[in-house]
Amino acid sequence: MIDALHPVTTAPFSIEAFSCQKAGNARTEYEDAWAIRGSDSPTRCRVAIADGATESSFSALWAALLVESFVRGRSHGPEFFRHLGAIRRLWRGKVRGRPLPWYAAEKAKKGAYAAFVGLSLNAVNRAWRAVAIGDCCLFQVTGLPPNLELAHTFPLSHSEEFGSSPFLVGSVKKAEDDPLPHVRVSEGVLQGNDGLYFASDALAAWLLRRSEKGEPVWNAISPDGIRTEKDFEALVAQAREEGTRNDDMTLIRLTRRAAWERGAG
Amino acid sequence: MYSAEISRKNPGCFIFLLDQSASMEDPFGGSADRKKADELATIINKLLHNLSIRCAKGDSIYDYFHVAVIGYGQDTVVKSAWDGAMTGKDLVPISELANNPLRIEDRVKKADDGNGGLVEQSVKFPLWFEARHAGGTPMSSAFKMAAEIVQRWVAEHPKGFPPIVINITDGESTDGDPVPEAKALCSLGSDDGATLVFNIHLSSESGNPIELPASDEGLPDKFAKQLFEMSSALTPFMIGRAKELGMPAGDGARGFVFNAQPVQVIQFLDIGTRPANLR
Repeated sequence: MIDALHPVTTAPFSIEAFSCQKAGNARTEYEDAWAIRGSDSPTRCRVAIADGATESSFSALWAALLVESFVRGRSHGPEFFRHLGAIRRLWRGKVRGRPLPWYAAEKAKKGAYAAFVGLSLNAVNRAWRAVAIGDCCLFQVTGLPPNLELAHTFPLSHSEEFGSSPFLVGSVKKAEDDPLPHVRVSEGVLQGNDGLYFASDALAAWLLRRSEKGEPVWNAISPDGIRTEKDFEALVAQAREEGTRNDDMTLIRLTRRAAWERGAG
Repeated sequence: MYSAEISRKNPGCFIFLLDQSASMEDPFGGSADRKKADELATIINKLLHNLSIRCAKGDSIYDYFHVAVIGYGQDTVVKSAWDGAMTGKDLVPISELANNPLRIEDRVKKADDGNGGLVEQSVKFPLWFEARHAGGTPMSSAFKMAAEIVQRWVAEHPKGFPPIVINITDGESTDGDPVPEAKALCSLGSDDGATLVFNIHLSSESGNPIELPASDEGLPDKFAKQLFEMSSALTPFMIGRAKELGMPAGDGARGFVFNAQPVQVIQFLDIGTRPANLR
């Protein structure tokens, strides 16, 4: 409420993204995607993360189109998945425009798949609403360093829930692939210095596994723990050493700016 | 064990041994109009087609797998089955295979139209070899040739997922006991485990198949027990896939199907060619 009573001149939140491709792959083969809009706005902000499926083709393109469409749009509920037609047409147009050998053309016909989380945040009353399909995750973290704690997790809550074959949203419309029955929605309000963290599946599973063991993982990914891409790469290396699946990893961090940073102090 | 990641640096290796003896001219599974040789050639060409598509990525193809198809029969000859540009080669990377089919046929299949209906869709159906059926069943020599390829492979890929050899036959070996050759093949492997040898026996009759047995009890004769003895246990990942497909796969299930009908061949090849997730 402080923000509503005393509007600030710059955005009250800081948003940072860190990403790392699979070990042994080129950076151009990274298939996660993320997008942020309104990070400079004092009133609203939209964030999305998607994880393109390794086993499908042109999934990086599909993941990128999904996140961009979400943050540029206005929907913040299941209706986003009711109106995928335009995004699918964009994907099809970009794929069909290429001369492809037979195997690439056949694979493209099967479509690309991605897991997705999109969130809209009202920066004034600090209420958020998120929509998800698949196993990219959103974590609300509360408290002050070094005692940060997990307050809410969405759409998966336990590390054992990862690893099966989650439903993913596809770039080709198929009767048996209707995403709507699989859409999950969650809402919340940020309290005090709460932050929101978005992670693609392998990283999310590792964070939850460490958290379940009582390890201070939320401090490790806070602004005190990760300051640079190099810090993030070290964290990814640690996760892989501990047996985490070799996958693209992405972390988006939305935290409250210090008052002096916002010019309100 | 059997947990190495399949990647372009550490690809998987599949070797298919196909019985091309004279008896493969007989009908398959009691069907009057389909020869076993024709049906098997269609199934394996379709499998190669699917493997190529699995490895396709964007406008390219990743060499996640190297593949050999060895035919045995043809007047007791054992040789690579490739026709066309790959004639004479044995193990080839999937990109070479995908880019060098013998020919590509245009076929039509029914596909989901997205609104609950079906629409006819034109698909490319590549073929890499023709059906053959002649001569005896030199199965022992086929296993020997597979062992030579495997030996080369594991020397070059000591940390990778071990090779998978799938033998598909309808009859007994005519060049001696194949069990010692199959065992010798299984003694080769990588740091990640021994070579996996699986066997599929094709039935001439319509009848009940015996799928993925964990013991040789209930197998009808010495020949069936011999194929069982030559078959490796399925890996946990493959057992999971078998269960997904509704096949009976308990602890200790071997990669062996006796009296297989076409559907069991297709299902088993799906299970046997899924070493683990691709990177």
